[in-house]
Amino acid sequence: MRWSRALVLVVLFVVAVAVAWWYTHRQVALVDDTIVVYYVKDDGTSLVPWRVSLGPARDRASVAFYAATQCVAGPPEGTEAVRFPLGTRVRAVNVVGSTADVDISKDVASSAEGGFAESAEFKALVWTLTQPSLHVTAVTVRIDGARVATLPGGHLELDEPLSRSSF
Amino acid sequence: MNRSRVRAFSRSAAIAALVLFAGATGARAQDRTPNLWFQGTRLNFAHAVPMQGDLAVSTRDDGLRRFLDRLGASVSYQPQQRYVVITAQDRRTIVFTIGDPAYTIAGVRAQAPFAPTADGGDVVLPFFALARALYVEPVQGSTETVLQPRIGVLDVRSDANRTFVTVRGAMPLVTTTNAESPDRLQVSFTGLGSSLAPSRRSAGAAVDEIDVAVGGSPRVPTTTLTIAGARGTTHRIVPADVPDAFTVVFEAHGPVAQAAPPTPPPLGSSPPTATPDYPPGGSPQTPPTAAPPVVAGRATVTDLAIEPGAGDSLAIRVSLSGATAYEWHRLADNRWYIDFENTTLTGPGRDERPSFGAVESVRMRQLGTGDAPTVRIAFTMTGEQRVDLGPSDTGIVITVFSQPADDLTRIGTGQTGGVPVMPSATTFEPGAAGSPAPWKYGPATNPKLIVIDPGHGGADVGTMHNGLTEKLLTFDIAQRLRSILVAAGWTVRMTRDNDTDPVSTDNLSHMHADGKPNADDRAYLQTRCDVANNAGARLFISIHVNSAPVESAHGTTFYWYKPQDAAFAQALEKSVIPAAGTFDDGTRHENFYVVRHTTMPAVLIETAFVTNAGDVGLLRQPSFLQNVAQGIANGVKAYAGVPSANALSQQ
Repeated sequence: MRWSRALVLVVLFVVAVAVAWWYTHRQVALVDDTIVVYYVKDDGTSLVPWRVSLGPARDRASVAFYAATQCVAGPPEGTEAVRFPLGTRVRAVNVVGSTADVDISKDVASSAEGGFAESAEFKALVWTLTQPSLHVTAVTVRIDGARVATLPGGHLELDEPLSRSSF
Repeated sequence: MNRSRVRAFSRSAAIAALVLFAGATGARAQDRTPNLWFQGTRLNFAHAVPMQGDLAVSTRDDGLRRFLDRLGASVSYQPQQRYVVITAQDRRTIVFTIGDPAYTIAGVRAQAPFAPTADGGDVVLPFFALARALYVEPVQGSTETVLQPRIGVLDVRSDANRTFVTVRGAMPLVTTTNAESPDRLQVSFTGLGSSLAPSRRSAGAAVDEIDVAVGGSPRVPTTTLTIAGARGTTHRIVPADVPDAFTVVFEAHGPVAQAAPPTPPPLGSSPPTATPDYPPGGSPQTPPTAAPPVVAGRATVTDLAIEPGAGDSLAIRVSLSGATAYEWHRLADNRWYIDFENTTLTGPGRDERPSFGAVESVRMRQLGTGDAPTVRIAFTMTGEQRVDLGPSDTGIVITVFSQPADDLTRIGTGQTGGVPVMPSATTFEPGAAGSPAPWKYGPATNPKLIVIDPGHGGADVGTMHNGLTEKLLTFDIAQRLRSILVAAGWTVRMTRDNDTDPVSTDNLSHMHADGKPNADDRAYLQTRCDVANNAGARLFISIHVNSAPVESAHGTTFYWYKPQDAAFAQALEKSVIPAAGTFDDGTRHENFYVVRHTTMPAVLIETAFVTNAGDVGLLRQPSFLQNVAQGIANGVKAYAGVPSANALSQQ
């Protein structure tokens, strides 16, 4: 009796480990080999989805990082888009559950561009990371690793999770 | 052993493994480490291992960091994931994948000699492949390898009677005009070589031919560009927004002198270009900065050439003028095709049957016309051959190898020639994302009080453009508004009474028992909210001046967050726009701190843009600032009535 109980516990433990491994290493299911990246047009509000090809990595951490870097880099020059300040880069994206924590370099605050640009930039980033295939619904932001209330002299509240309904 | 020691040990082990691998291939690695020169100085790497014709370099190597810094490029990599993204100064992304030799340059696939490897936070990349993607070509000398910055892009785009010619280099351009007449221009770029074809006939309206010549030495090259306009054209150099680009526009006057499209060469006899195109020494991915935006249907396919490629491969070279997005597909029956969106053919369709390689037939057709023209190039292979797609100096090159493909990816997309055309772009209406969360707030305990928040102040100047400073404009409007509201019977409190930071001790010390200024952004903004929240104000009005990275943005915007703010925002919109005469940019739901954390109806008004010429003209006029203030006061009256009646209703 004691042995069978121990066996059941071992089996449960193995199943739990397997489920945890699957959850953390699951592959992002994509319709094709592309992922959607959003940018905001010059009017400051209109979102434009932009499909970019992916490399072979399909794990959620890689795809989320890739999508965020493409969003921050923005569409090719000449496209009418509100862009992150030049030099801004994604330092890290950590996805835990349904929240993505994005760490952006301080270059994002290098130009005080008012609420218009701030809103457009983060709207694009949030929409990019909350696309259905990534199973992310909220985005938290760090600037150079630190949690901040807003950008310096900024308007948009950044120390609470942002979602699509924030905009 | 602690974690850092483990990482250090494993990093050393990885480098050692690379060295051993190189040694096993027949030579001592250290002896073969190239003597690299870049911009007149030696480029030293702490750890660089020659490998399969390239150089394995760590992203943490100071030498690589210095190299990228000079080019304005940056690396993004995060341990535990597989992508390494290098963002070039012109915003192109070069994406490597750990464990995969394939990489992409602005979405266009290329192949490196070896796959990047990762060890903790460190990644070892193929350096020469990366350099080429950044328009820097390794030029081998007898004792040294010069990393030569090059002109990597020659972009030619035309509209009705104008042709824009743009070149872009790896570095800021030092331009010298050698010869100039109305229909001809010759300029030199000192310090840059070229990865462009030596001659190009333009399909544009106003340019006949462009010649590129390279002189000087490998260390100090000079590229000379000669542009021959069509007869009777004139030209002007367009000021560039970025230092690594040069744009000139040729304009035809009177009847357009249309250049004849190049005659397609006979099958398999296209002249080889002098420029290596794979991996790219240059890529036509970057559009000109000052040229007009590309619109659908502007790109054209000017030529299709089929020729033997490296080894026994077959190269299909597609010459393009203008910018376009493309999508390719590999079908299950050994067919492969690529569609260039919003693109037209300059000549008739083509049907070819190559006598070599693993391709049985090639077909090029114009599909669709009018608003959505598409050019499709399709070919049938003898099997599931490997197909690579890469940029060339005139468009793209599709290389079909005789070997079977390892990767049978069925679909891919990309852009070439500059601005991508996005026919599938979807525009979402503001507010479609969802409704704001319910918000609770109490009644005003001081119903005659309105708090005005002049945005920024003190060390926080806000935005500054065209000689205008946000903190001064907001304070000016706020003072005018205070006078009008007080005259109307309201009690008014300002979050700042002069050009000081609201968190400073002398301004708001009465709100902080310890008399110390707040230390962070949250406290800074919460202080403004507290002025209204603590006093139980009826309304909160935050005044700002907007700016944008695009000059076209203009007008007045009314930001709100709480549901109860919306009606106040709409009332202000209806009053301010006619009074100020600005463009109505609408009311917008945004997660802005001061409207979110105030407990009464609150609106943040961005009155006009200091980055738009029209708005700047308005903001310089005191009468405009007065009209804005009057418009806000009118909106307050429309929303909240007059103070006495309002006070009675609250009691």
